[in-house]
Amino acid sequence: MTPRLSLNGIVKSFGPITVLHGVSLTVAPGEVHGLLGENGAGKSTLLNILSGVLHPTAGSIEIDGKTASIHSPRDASAAGIAMIHQELQQVPELTVAQNIFLGASLRRMGPLFTDARAQEIEARRLLADLDPGIDVTAKVKTLRVAQRQIVEIAKALRANARLIAMDEPTSSLTPAEFERLTEVIRGLTARGVSIIYVSHKMDEVFRLCTSATIMRDGRLVDRVELPKTPVEKVIEMMVGRELAHAAHRSFATNRVVMRVKGLTRSNAVRDASLTLHAGEVLGIAGLVGSGRTELLRLIAGVDAAEAGTVEVEGKPIPGHSPLTRIRAGLGLVPEERKRDGIIRHRPITSNVGLAAMHHFSRFGLIQKTALRRRTEELMQEVGLRPFDVTRPIGSFSGGNQQKAIIGRWLAANTRIFLFDEPTRGIDVGAKAEIYDLIEKLASEGCAAIVVSSELTEVIRLSDRVLVMREGRISADLGPGEISEAAIARAAIPAT
Amino acid sequence: MNTTARNAAPPLLSRIRFRDAGTVLGLILICAIFAVLTPTFLTVPNLLNILQQSSINACIALGMTLVIISGGIDLSVGPVAALSAVLGAAMMVAGVPVPLAILAAIAIGVACGFLNGALIAWGGLQPFIVTLGGLSLYRALALIYTGGTPIFGLPAEFRAFTNGNMMGIPNPVLIVAVLAVSAWVVLNKTPLGEYFMAVGGNPEAARVAGVPVTLTKLSAYMISGAMASVAALILIGRLGAAEPTLGTLWELDAIAAAAIGGASLMGGRGSIFGTLIGCIILGALRNGLTLMNVQAFYQLLATGIIIIVAMLIDRATSGKQG
Repeated sequence: MTPRLSLNGIVKSFGPITVLHGVSLTVAPGEVHGLLGENGAGKSTLLNILSGVLHPTAGSIEIDGKTASIHSPRDASAAGIAMIHQELQQVPELTVAQNIFLGASLRRMGPLFTDARAQEIEARRLLADLDPGIDVTAKVKTLRVAQRQIVEIAKALRANARLIAMDEPTSSLTPAEFERLTEVIRGLTARGVSIIYVSHKMDEVFRLCTSATIMRDGRLVDRVELPKTPVEKVIEMMVGRELAHAAHRSFATNRVVMRVKGLTRSNAVRDASLTLHAGEVLGIAGLVGSGRTELLRLIAGVDAAEAGTVEVEGKPIPGHSPLTRIRAGLGLVPEERKRDGIIRHRPITSNVGLAAMHHFSRFGLIQKTALRRRTEELMQEVGLRPFDVTRPIGSFSGGNQQKAIIGRWLAANTRIFLFDEPTRGIDVGAKAEIYDLIEKLASEGCAAIVVSSELTEVIRLSDRVLVMREGRISADLGPGEISEAAIARAAIPAT
Repeated sequence: MNTTARNAAPPLLSRIRFRDAGTVLGLILICAIFAVLTPTFLTVPNLLNILQQSSINACIALGMTLVIISGGIDLSVGPVAALSAVLGAAMMVAGVPVPLAILAAIAIGVACGFLNGALIAWGGLQPFIVTLGGLSLYRALALIYTGGTPIFGLPAEFRAFTNGNMMGIPNPVLIVAVLAVSAWVVLNKTPLGEYFMAVGGNPEAARVAGVPVTLTKLSAYMISGAMASVAALILIGRLGAAEPTLGTLWELDAIAAAAIGGASLMGGRGSIFGTLIGCIILGALRNGLTLMNVQAFYQLLATGIIIIVAMLIDRATSGKQG
């Protein structure tokens, strides 16, 4: 049988960095095919190529045996490919029918007017098989997420999609809603529609998919038949067997520097407690959305906790502002550097001195020479390149911006460093430098928490690893217990 | 204003200097054109006249520049000026000692700025809308208080001060010069100035870095309010009366001057020196056109063209600079 979709040797490079190394994948008509891999494995890039958002550097796409040239989302739609993103792309203020016909509205009197009535009738017909309970004249913002997803599927069918790619479709669905989605998907496949199903939830993948492609680090690992391949085998293929490059060195002591008790914020973080020791690097692992970043932001005081306390050196810190936490010796190195880290137009000196302006001021005036000298000292220590502290931080590479942010906390005499994805968007060389820096901080008696999606990174850096799952800390792995398998087991939700 | 004395941090400052140099070049160009067209333009009395005429706008624009750099906008400056003018004038007429009345008038401006800042920083409202509301609110208070009629009979000593001069330089020009130096020091030499640029450049990053974002915003609007009051005092001293309708459209001239001087309305960037030159450009333009007996309507036209041309040049050059 001709496959519905076949991707042949897809390569994608951004400048000198290659993110996809010849990935191939085939999906049969009416098949539900899993696309599996860790965060950063290249799944999203592959889906973006499929939906015309990105163009492959090399490789070809065939639909029903015919080579398809997909240069834009419009081309993808014309080729019968539809994409349902994790963040649904809908206009909340428009009605269900309007959203289904967004960009392809039915007209009357030539192209002059939208034929709202025809659209509603057609929308009702499309939804009849999926979920007749949805009112086509209701605004999309009034629907539940599960219903909005159904609307998105109806939109795909309106465009005569023969292949629908779903990215983490169940991340915010209840079990009952998942059952409903399962029925819808079975209905679609019965009509010959093929599905690419991206999910971290192994139980769902094993229930829905008949085959799966596993990716790691932008490469194809293997194609497996489901459900006959054991789940452990699949996880092993996802996380890989390679060990971290350098051995972990521990500087952990028994002296407690920070105690976090019962931090809670709605459903994102639930009753999280942890203890941090001087010289210790504590890793926090877990899937995207498991509450790792949120927990770190609560500890840093950047978001307000609904319950729970943070104690540093035995003293509880009042309030939720970043300022009081910084005074207590905490500093957040955020994941989104551009959004939460740097002041783009300001020089390195201003960015480094920002959290410690009072150290550098006398009689209300900034001692520019002192600030500059200290900045140069610190930037020498972290290895800023090019070494020019007067240049705007926005003109430096991601790795060097990160070094400056670390320098900011060094200037503020921070003792507890909170790293959120410390090497996200940073090239391999700078990565090793950041690892060395974190180790150096620990050797000097500072403590660090490192949130990371990369298991190798967590294992390389951490003395102890907490694993988060659905907002809770699901495992506390001490030295000797840390392994990729142990982390993966604790991170992936059970049914 | 001597700005060449800045010596720290060459590349970034040279970039700002580059921008300032452009503004100065624009001013020289405009002056050169008028010098050729009208013989009286390039004389000492006329140049002092331009500075004096620009001083009120400059006063407002200094505060506006700080607000814009911190990522906001203050549309309420004219009515704030009117409110502190009528209340200050009423106090003077009622016999309150002049220095005390001046302080009270400035305090009123600071209070208005505090209200604007509080609604923006604590209330989380948009600066444009808050100060648009303030624009009506403060004007209404000034009109209600006076019943719409001007307050006459300001004390002679007060008038003498604002109309006097030192070594031939009008006092308003000197006052604005002192304020400009102060604003420059605040922006470039103090933590508060660093915070203005950080909050305007990236408020979320500033917050994560422990910058007191709320206080920073509040300070900007309070300074702007104080500057509006000083501008009002200069004006009523010159006129000898306080009209509740004074200061109409002052906010637009101030924003124009700041923008010509290189302030980015997106926040995070701006120059005190540039703003001053921007004010003088607008002042020189009006003065020169008046000397040439050009009708007021065409003066407005020229002002509009200058603002847009300045922005186009800014766009074209900053694009290359990244």
